[in-house]
Amino acid sequence: MGNRIFKAGLAGITVLFVGMLVWAMLSLIFMPRWSEVVDSTLSAEMLYSIRLSLTTSAVSVAVVMILAVSIGYVLARFRFPGHQLLRTVVDLPMAFPELVLGLCLLLLFGHEPLAGWLKQAGIDIVFSKTGIAIAQIFTAAPYATRVVYAAFRSISPRYEMVARSLGCGQWTAFWRVTLPMAKGGLFAGAVIAFARCMGCFGTVLILAGGTRMFTETLPITLYLNISYGNLAMTSGILLILISLAAIVTFEVLNHEVVL
Amino acid sequence: MTVLLEVRNLHVDLGEFSLRGADLAVAEGDYCCLIGDSGAGKSVLLETVVGSFRPHKGKVLLHGRDVTDWPPERRNLGIVYQDFMLFPHLNVFDNIAFGLRRQKGRRTALKSEVHAIAARVGIEHLLHRDIKTLSGGEQQRAALARALITRPKVLLLDEAFSALDVASRERMRRLLRELVKDLHVTALHVTHDMEDVWALADQVAVLHDGQILQTGSPEHIFSCPHPEFVAEFLGGRNVLQGSVLDCDASGLTHIGIEQTRLYSADPAPVGHRVQLSVRPEELAVAQKQLPITLRNQIPVRIQGLERRGPLVWITGKAAGFSLEAAVTVSGAREQKLKVGDEAVFAFSASSLRIIASERRRRAPSDSPDTLSPIPVAAVEGFAGD
Repeated sequence: MGNRIFKAGLAGITVLFVGMLVWAMLSLIFMPRWSEVVDSTLSAEMLYSIRLSLTTSAVSVAVVMILAVSIGYVLARFRFPGHQLLRTVVDLPMAFPELVLGLCLLLLFGHEPLAGWLKQAGIDIVFSKTGIAIAQIFTAAPYATRVVYAAFRSISPRYEMVARSLGCGQWTAFWRVTLPMAKGGLFAGAVIAFARCMGCFGTVLILAGGTRMFTETLPITLYLNISYGNLAMTSGILLILISLAAIVTFEVLNHEVVL
Repeated sequence: MTVLLEVRNLHVDLGEFSLRGADLAVAEGDYCCLIGDSGAGKSVLLETVVGSFRPHKGKVLLHGRDVTDWPPERRNLGIVYQDFMLFPHLNVFDNIAFGLRRQKGRRTALKSEVHAIAARVGIEHLLHRDIKTLSGGEQQRAALARALITRPKVLLLDEAFSALDVASRERMRRLLRELVKDLHVTALHVTHDMEDVWALADQVAVLHDGQILQTGSPEHIFSCPHPEFVAEFLGGRNVLQGSVLDCDASGLTHIGIEQTRLYSADPAPVGHRVQLSVRPEELAVAQKQLPITLRNQIPVRIQGLERRGPLVWITGKAAGFSLEAAVTVSGAREQKLKVGDEAVFAFSASSLRIIASERRRRAPSDSPDTLSPIPVAAVEGFAGD
């Protein structure tokens, strides 16, 4: 009897929460009239926003993956003083509110000495489109690094040692053996990074600003339209669909990598 | 014979596992089995030879050349691990061809070489197959082919057969024995399995606590283990302490242990304290005295009977010491022995090996730990009875 109550209690809590979550998401999708959604999607603002989000996210994911593979490999393969500290620092932005991360980046890129060096090099980051990519990179990199690190950790270093005994240098062993073996984890990391980049709001808002038709990514469109009293369901629907696709892909690809 | 692989005074500290001055030399064409208890540092030694770990002291030499600072890819050593370590993203052909693709000048004949080695290890029909579809034995053959195709100076095997079932293990031993002979392979094989030692080894090295305690042929190591650790590790649980009472004209050494007089074919000076060992399977067990050809006949009371696999282990309490005998199940059944019975443990003088000897001291602080191993040559050169 006690066992039955215990199981029923757990099942009840699960069903209640998941039900509310699904209801909330479905209400965003089914509440608006679909003709309005189509009109909104084809508006110049939405098309600009989608294009900018996709472009910046694509660039950011490429940079994030280079960072994630490098840092993930260093953490997985090398032991050195400060190893744990490095892991903590890399993970830290995941615990930050995005607004705080954005503020940190604004202080870094908007003040001397970095601001001066970047100005001399002709690079604008603060309140610019480059700033969107920088904000996305710093937001998404810790997530991708964690996934890639777990993928490298799950591969025995002995594979590389076998490759090296067969005549490969360290780079060739990494390129020919470890990287192909980690491809599931790498792809999963890229998918998660892409979803984080597309959905990145607070960091982008603080570093790149939320300027209509300039630094306007999908979450910024959603924010601006809600501010003006326009519910603009399209951007919300798109973000939900992107996140859903990302999570499903991640689960399929990465089921054996334990984070 | 030329020494091919040599490690000299090797010190590696990995915290839990370490080497503390390991010395080993493997002659060209020899098959050396490295045995020892868990945590002794066997795999660390192997991985240091291949180049995974850099020793903080000591040297690794190949053909007399110091390769301690060489990266693994320059050493030309083949390694086969227990869990195969075949690359899962490549099929069998590409796994075997992997090392050959890195060797300039041998790429032209790549296909024929892969087919030749695959045929040699009996997996030519599996070359197109995905690694995941192979059985354990087939995977180990592929791993062996991959390691051998580059013609390594030394083949290193880290418990290479322990993931296989008994039948596959036996087949792999047979295959490896043939390959070693045909290809003149020099090998260093870390193993826990004494069957590997008996089937393959020309030389055995016993590692304990980061140091090589004894090296020699399998016959020598098993018949004359020293020091005490080696004797116990190799299953010679019957390690006894005694004093040399006499050396007679027939060459037998008379040793007193408590009230019992035993006979050994190994020489030792009269008056010395000695450490002795007799392997449990060399003891015959009977209810009464056995023929005089077995010089040592010790009356015991049976204290324990335990079946382990095909053998029954019998513990007998003599006057002041205990002995263990390992007899076949049918042998034990015939004798109808049970705990509490009186019996006789018998063994020849050549079975009782003197593993350490020292001059008797008068000081009361005499300790078995201070016994020094007797020179190996003295033991090997002595004829048994």
